Amino acid sequence: MLAFLGSAGMLLAIVGAVLLVVRGVAAARHDTSPNLGGAAQLLLSGGAVAMLAMVLALLTDDFSLVYTANNHASATPFPFDVATAWAALEGSIVLWGLVLAGYTWFVFRRYRKSPDRLGAAALAVMGVVAIFFFGLMITVANPFEVCVQAMEAGCVRSSPWPFATVSAPADGPGPNPLLQNHLMMAIHPPVLYLGYVGMTVPFAYAMGALSLGVAGPEWLRRSHRSTLVAWSFLSLGILLGGWWAYEVLSWGGYWAWDPVENASLMPWLVATAFLHSGIVQQRRGMLQAWNFILVISAFSLTILGTFLTRSGTINSVHSFTQSAIGPALLGFLVLTLVGSFTLFSTRADTVATSPRIDSMVSREGAFLANNLLLSVYAFIVLVGTTYPLVLEAFTGTQVGVGEPFFNRLAVPLSFLLLLVMGFGPITPWRSAPPGLLWARTRIPGLIALAAGLLTALAVTRNGWVVLAVTLGVFVVGTMTGLLVEQVTARAAKTSETLPAALKQVVTGDGAFWGGQLSHVGVVLVAIGIAFAANLGSHHEVELSPGESAQFQGYTLTFESPFRQVQPSKTVLGARMTVTRDGNLIGLVEPSANFFGSDETGVSTPDVLHRPGGDLYITLLSTPETGSATFQFDTSPMIWVLWLGGLTTAAGGFLAMAARRRERSVTPDRQTVDV
Amino acid sequence: MSDRARNIAVIVGMAAMAITLVFLVATNPSDVDRVQAIGERIKCPVCQGESIANSPSSMARDMMSLVSDSVALGASDDEIVEELLASYSGAVLLDPPVSGATLALWLAPIAALGTGALIIVWWRRHPGEPAEDTVRSTTSSRRLGPLLILGFSLAVIVVVAGFFLQDRSGPATGVADLAGQDLEDVSEETMEAVVAANADHPQVDGMRLALAERYYDIGDYSSAFPHYLAVAESANATGAQAVTALVRLGWMAWDGNAETETAIELFDQALAIDSASTTARYLKGLVLWCGAGEVDAATGLFEEVLAAAELSPEARTNVEADLAAVRDGDTCP
Amino acid sequence: MRGNALRWVGYGVALAAVVFAVVLASRFGTDPSLVDSPLLGQPAPGFDLTPLEGGDPVSLDDLEGDIVVINFFASWCLECRNEHQALISTADAFADEEVTFVSISYQESPPASLQYLETEGKSEVTHYLADPGSRTAIAYGVFGIPETFFIDDEGIVVGKIIGESDAFTLGATIDAIERGESPGQSVTGNTQQSPDG
Repeated sequence: MLAFLGSAGMLLAIVGAVLLVVRGVAAARHDTSPNLGGAAQLLLSGGAVAMLAMVLALLTDDFSLVYTANNHASATPFPFDVATAWAALEGSIVLWGLVLAGYTWFVFRRYRKSPDRLGAAALAVMGVVAIFFFGLMITVANPFEVCVQAMEAGCVRSSPWPFATVSAPADGPGPNPLLQNHLMMAIHPPVLYLGYVGMTVPFAYAMGALSLGVAGPEWLRRSHRSTLVAWSFLSLGILLGGWWAYEVLSWGGYWAWDPVENASLMPWLVATAFLHSGIVQQRRGMLQAWNFILVISAFSLTILGTFLTRSGTINSVHSFTQSAIGPALLGFLVLTLVGSFTLFSTRADTVATSPRIDSMVSREGAFLANNLLLSVYAFIVLVGTTYPLVLEAFTGTQVGVGEPFFNRLAVPLSFLLLLVMGFGPITPWRSAPPGLLWARTRIPGLIALAAGLLTALAVTRNGWVVLAVTLGVFVVGTMTGLLVEQVTARAAKTSETLPAALKQVVTGDGAFWGGQLSHVGVVLVAIGIAFAANLGSHHEVELSPGESAQFQGYTLTFESPFRQVQPSKTVLGARMTVTRDGNLIGLVEPSANFFGSDETGVSTPDVLHRPGGDLYITLLSTPETGSATFQFDTSPMIWVLWLGGLTTAAGGFLAMAARRRERSVTPDRQTVDV
Repeated sequence: MSDRARNIAVIVGMAAMAITLVFLVATNPSDVDRVQAIGERIKCPVCQGESIANSPSSMARDMMSLVSDSVALGASDDEIVEELLASYSGAVLLDPPVSGATLALWLAPIAALGTGALIIVWWRRHPGEPAEDTVRSTTSSRRLGPLLILGFSLAVIVVVAGFFLQDRSGPATGVADLAGQDLEDVSEETMEAVVAANADHPQVDGMRLALAERYYDIGDYSSAFPHYLAVAESANATGAQAVTALVRLGWMAWDGNAETETAIELFDQALAIDSASTTARYLKGLVLWCGAGEVDAATGLFEEVLAAAELSPEARTNVEADLAAVRDGDTCP
Repeated sequence: MRGNALRWVGYGVALAAVVFAVVLASRFGTDPSLVDSPLLGQPAPGFDLTPLEGGDPVSLDDLEGDIVVINFFASWCLECRNEHQALISTADAFADEEVTFVSISYQESPPASLQYLETEGKSEVTHYLADPGSRTAIAYGVFGIPETFFIDDEGIVVGKIIGESDAFTLGATIDAIERGESPGQSVTGNTQQSPDG
């Protein structure tokens, strides 16, 4: 029954997508107004029904579905049973399809009822992408196949026909143990997908504009909000992934340059460049070619990322099992790249427009530098991730490329970006009058250097930390200086009170100040990482029950081992008390989870969150009897990293909300010219 | 203070602070933990992408302990890394060297940055025309169609090629799924289907043999025969599998069709592969006794069987009884 | 001017994308985690390990002149259990041909390995050794078990089997080495990296 429901949902969605493409293309070519709403609705309802069928199957322990039989266990607790919907390959495509259908719906909502060729073309492109993903679902990655030959825990033979004779196993093996450890499993993938899939929207508008031969900022304006939403969710998704890995895997786990982490970083970097570069096109009509290239790259990188995760060509913590989906995704990637870039080439004349840039010392120049730096950054990550693959294909030599490589290049690049971030917002458009930049940077520069000096004298002389603090304070300093400048100018002009003037300035250009908030977030992320990665301490010790160890001013006492038997797992761990200066700080229980009949389990560290930094305790050997080996780490100021990530995402959401407000008031937004 | 004086004061202040900072940082006593630094360059071979410094797994810790001992013995960083690479190969190095195979890797970003800068310089020198909102020209659209078709065809080619290049020799669908499981619940039809679907798979012989044994157990020699034959002739079958198949074929030849010579030949083939096979020896003896009447040869074979170490008590009893019967000149049962 | 340049950029990227995709597609049939052992053709790393039950250490030098077959195993490894009988029978079969089998316990305490051997059986002519700190496993570059290394009578590593082997394969490999060949590396199945998979 649920198999039928799910299959019906998939079919509905495909029909809707096909209709969307056919009608969309017709509307774009002939200036007519066909009914695109029905098609979009079909697509959305189809996707929703499919997802609903999947979730219901998991909640009701319906093992007649192969997906449930192979990935779910009746003992899996809520919400991990729902999260199983995207834990394995086929289910993750269902989630992708639903999010895509949702975004398509929103694009339809912005479709103007009068002949709207660009909107129609964009919807047609979204339809093509939807056909691909739902097509994947129906062919190679069908999540609604029914089990016709069962084993004890799993399925041997399956059939895509929902009404085949079912032979369901009694139970399933359950999701991978690593995916049952933390609540983030239920949250991180949907948030990440909201970011990933959202990149389809500006891509669709760009393709629409190119095929219609329509140059100009129209497509940018119409897709800008979706780009902001997608970017914000992607930022949030990356943050949540990092936090999850940190809490569950290891002390350095928040970022390890793992190929799948890189797969989410690359589109984020390019999307950030695109967001910034789009502003230039909307204001000055420049960088049009850049914007097309950036948006095509951003979308292609999301497909490449999906491919790397699911094709089995690269080893990673995240890898889904290899399947036939690899060639299909690769084919789609080729189609996307070849199609969009050849389209770009045929329209090269209309695209190759722009007013001349007056001076490189201008906002345009800063954005250009920003584009370059972020693009090179993304390129480095791409090269590093795929180099072993490519090298082995050509020469057979096997090499490894890991953290040391990426850190060595990414860290200087990041600092360069921080520097540009400090100058960009205070640089005027067109060209900076002589002395203006100096006037705006001298005091922040002084304060920044003073802050760096203070850090070097009072906290640490580690170069990375000092540099991060100096540049960070500089960025915040120039931004604050600008705000003060604008508020005092406005207060003088309108004789408002300072707080009122502040409110007016900020809400008057919400998009800009939302972006500045994101910059603050990035600064916090940089400082958080600098502190946590460079100033942490590490210690390993073996303790018997009752013994204590001293570490960084903490006294950690191994009180007793414990053993918990739960329906889906057995937990073996150690109870410890942590005191400092005689005061009890907390109780920690680092443990290892054992699933089934394993001998050593999945280690779950415990983290004590403190204002000065986290205390991170890992259990290295299980204390069945007698002593256990512990590893202690500190991550100083790491909460700054999480706060920074949240702030970055929040800035994006705020900018989007402000833009929405402004749109209803002034169609042609004009910022106060700086 | 005049503007200019203020500016100079600021510049001097900044310079002073900057110089002090650089000095402080440069003279920072480097408390680099060598062991940790080396550990971060080596990938843990039994983990997914973590370095041995950061992985809590016990193999990683053993490797870190080796690194630590080597450091204490005075080896240099590079010597320790080279040592590990000599055992594991370059695939476990996370820190690609700036030479040889990975030189291109390090040059790529520099090339990218350089290219980008050049593009910007060139772009400034060649300004474009103002934007025009042109409806697509007919010439462009004529090229558009064929180009998109080209792209689509390439995509199809890649997809098809990918399907063909896909690894067909991993655990086959069905074969490995059943391989580790208790086959009691699986029907013959299923196994026939699995075998047929994976006829060329290198690991299908185990399944074939299991299926053939099923038929053999119920006396369905004609159904069992083709599968035993396939296993016996298969290039991928292990020696043990081939021996089992040949022995069964031999017995079926004798028991089913009274083909004594064929049976002896098959048993000999089995013994050629595994000279220690007690089953082949025993059955050959039986057939020699019952089919060819060669009592002496049979006696010799039974004695050899009894001399072998690993007979179960009941098998031993049986063979002893047969040996006694042969010696007494009885006819075979 | 600019339009032309952009046109070239576009076509260039499209072409690069196709090349890139072909390269990626060529990796489809391969296992990204499979590594070629650099020890093949090299002198075998020495070891000096104590037997599981205790007693005098056994070193590689003691076995000089023999063909040595080194197998890494543990009780938590399913494929190792499958090949256990084959290892015993092959060891016994080649016992008087100057072929010595050495089984080294991997990531497991000696009592646990001993208990495994009690229940599964042992060969009298095989050395069962403990590897504290996994030093020998590291020296041999073990990525997972079971892995079996073949060393010829001159102490050079000439063969490696990754995954579960059987009597036929083991015997054939040893025969080849006796004839002076170097069988090289072959993959016969999966390996387990740790008790949980």
